[in-house]
Amino acid sequence: MELVELPVPQPKANEAVVKLAASGVNFIDVYFREGRYKAPLPLVLGQEGAGVVTAVGTDATSVKLGDRVAWSGPLGSYAEYVVMPADRLLPIPSNVTDQHAAAAMLQGMTAHYLSYDTYPLRRGETALVHAAAGGVGLLLVQMAHHIGARVIATVSTEEKAKLAREAGADEVILYTQSDFEAETKRLTGGKGVDVVYDSVGKTTFEKGLNILRPRGMMVLFGGSSGAVPPFDLIALSQKGSLYVTRPSLMSYIATREELMMRSGAVFGMIAAGKLKLRIDHTYPLAEAQQAHRDLEGRKTTGKLLLIP
Amino acid sequence: MHSAGSSGAADECIDPFDKLRASSSARKKRGPQDDNLDIWGSTMKAIRVQHTGGPEVMELAEVPVPQPKPAEALVKVSVAGVNLIDGHFRDGSLRTPLPFIPGQEGAGVVSAVGVQARTVKVGDRVAWSGALGSYAEYVAASADSLVPLPANITDEQAAAAMMHGLTAHYLANDAHELKAGETALVHAAAGGVGLLLVQMARAIGARVIGTASSDEKARQAREAGADEVIIFTQQDFEPEVKRLTGGQGVDVVYDGVGKATFEKNLNVMRPRGMLVLYGMSSGPVPPVDPAKLSEKGSLYMARTTLAHFTATREELLARTGALFAMIADGKLKLRIAKTYPLADAAQAHRDMEARKIAGKLLLVP
Repeated sequence: MELVELPVPQPKANEAVVKLAASGVNFIDVYFREGRYKAPLPLVLGQEGAGVVTAVGTDATSVKLGDRVAWSGPLGSYAEYVVMPADRLLPIPSNVTDQHAAAAMLQGMTAHYLSYDTYPLRRGETALVHAAAGGVGLLLVQMAHHIGARVIATVSTEEKAKLAREAGADEVILYTQSDFEAETKRLTGGKGVDVVYDSVGKTTFEKGLNILRPRGMMVLFGGSSGAVPPFDLIALSQKGSLYVTRPSLMSYIATREELMMRSGAVFGMIAAGKLKLRIDHTYPLAEAQQAHRDLEGRKTTGKLLLIP
Repeated sequence: MHSAGSSGAADECIDPFDKLRASSSARKKRGPQDDNLDIWGSTMKAIRVQHTGGPEVMELAEVPVPQPKPAEALVKVSVAGVNLIDGHFRDGSLRTPLPFIPGQEGAGVVSAVGVQARTVKVGDRVAWSGALGSYAEYVAASADSLVPLPANITDEQAAAAMMHGLTAHYLANDAHELKAGETALVHAAAGGVGLLLVQMARAIGARVIGTASSDEKARQAREAGADEVIIFTQQDFEPEVKRLTGGQGVDVVYDGVGKATFEKNLNVMRPRGMLVLYGMSSGPVPPVDPAKLSEKGSLYMARTTLAHFTATREELLARTGALFAMIADGKLKLRIAKTYPLADAAQAHRDMEARKIAGKLLLVP
């Protein structure tokens, strides 16, 4: 990653150009940088940000000059200007800052679709949230807690356990010290949880199936420990007619209507103080390398932002 | 409907010969609360399997009447249902200790109850599914698994409806809560579960695309209410479902076929659609890479069995109540294809496994 001078992009008919105020740093950016995810080179990284519209294409009707907007989607947000399909840009309410908007797009909308749509959590249900002090985890715990669900969280350190508790986790399991399978069974009186939210993958998937109640749901939404290997479906019937899904954000913001609904709900929670964002650090754009080092070092607990 | 080891059914099955052994050794002791029957130590006609194999291993035998355990009831069987799972136990692909009496489903009258059995009493008309040993004049079953029959449901209807009807009911209402306006793909739509599931899906107001193997079965699926039927022996169901849904895909796939249909199922579902696998009649599905579910649009997948949808007495009664009401109201038509004397159980299995007869087969002791 190197800082370079590039021409300001021009919008096509259905696009708009945005002057960035902040862009979010995400693991997906690392995957594109490494080449694990493919995109034509050279490329400008970054999939999320907030800023002000400075130019609109002739057919772009969803935003106008001067609008404060946020987005998550196509590459190019580690820059002063980005060109985006106008219908992916979302108006930011006046009571939400640019930095909060940039910090909330990917992780906030992810936590939202997981808890409200992939498995619509209800009051009184119990959810297990892995990596509960992670970017999505801290937001998911807050949303589940506000819905009225009981949240059992897994984390790696005492420091992260404290953060998960502050976010509203009812129980926190330090998986480095105790086996989360046995501990979850104990905490649920042997009944199991209604849903497991798992972004860890390889190291947690199998045990996750063992702690679901009959007809419970495994929501696998990432693989930070590696990809889950192919598994035998018979495990699902033997362990209690279980459900498995492997969702991704794109399926949950596929239409402009759903994107507006979801971002509106997230902004509403932020403005109402129901969703606390933890911005760990902001870096000047030129220090994107350091931001990635910090992210990959997994020492950060909260969002990293780049400021052009 | 169930494949070997996949359903947990083997674990739930009662070994009737445990009871028979127990009853013969305990013949002199005081029996359960049998007010009006003196059957302890007497014998009954039953189909016995002494070694697993083809239909011919089922022989009519005179065996002791089973004695119910404290939480069980003894039922005089008036009709027993014939199911594919009976064939799986008979041929050894599902295991139970030998010798055994096949049959999981039936209807009849309670003739004795164990001391702890509270849910039924002597003389009650009841039906059940999941009590191994039903191909007999008497079966001992967990009292909690016996469902009282309303007066407007015949024994034949009940015996025909328990396993397939309850399965169709949980599939349409719980495994995926089907809604009016949704589109469901029902594989094997003229099969035992299929014909009932099509009717239930239609009653909910869903659009139903069925698959069937022949023109005759396609006709039956249409009669049951399928909006579209794909004869999969003549047409590839994947492009056809895409065409019929304008490229959108279906909301849910109900699949009791398994191996032969699995991969293509993932290609005919809308984003966030649901695949409900409830059987594997074509063989088990090879291990699945969960990444496929996200690649094909954040899909859901479940592998379900009836036992988990009738796990509590409360749920069993609610589900059978809904099922019996649909039958009594004429909203659910049962197709009883043939009734055999108990002695002809082997022929019933031959007919079932030839897959030529559409509809339910029953045995009458």
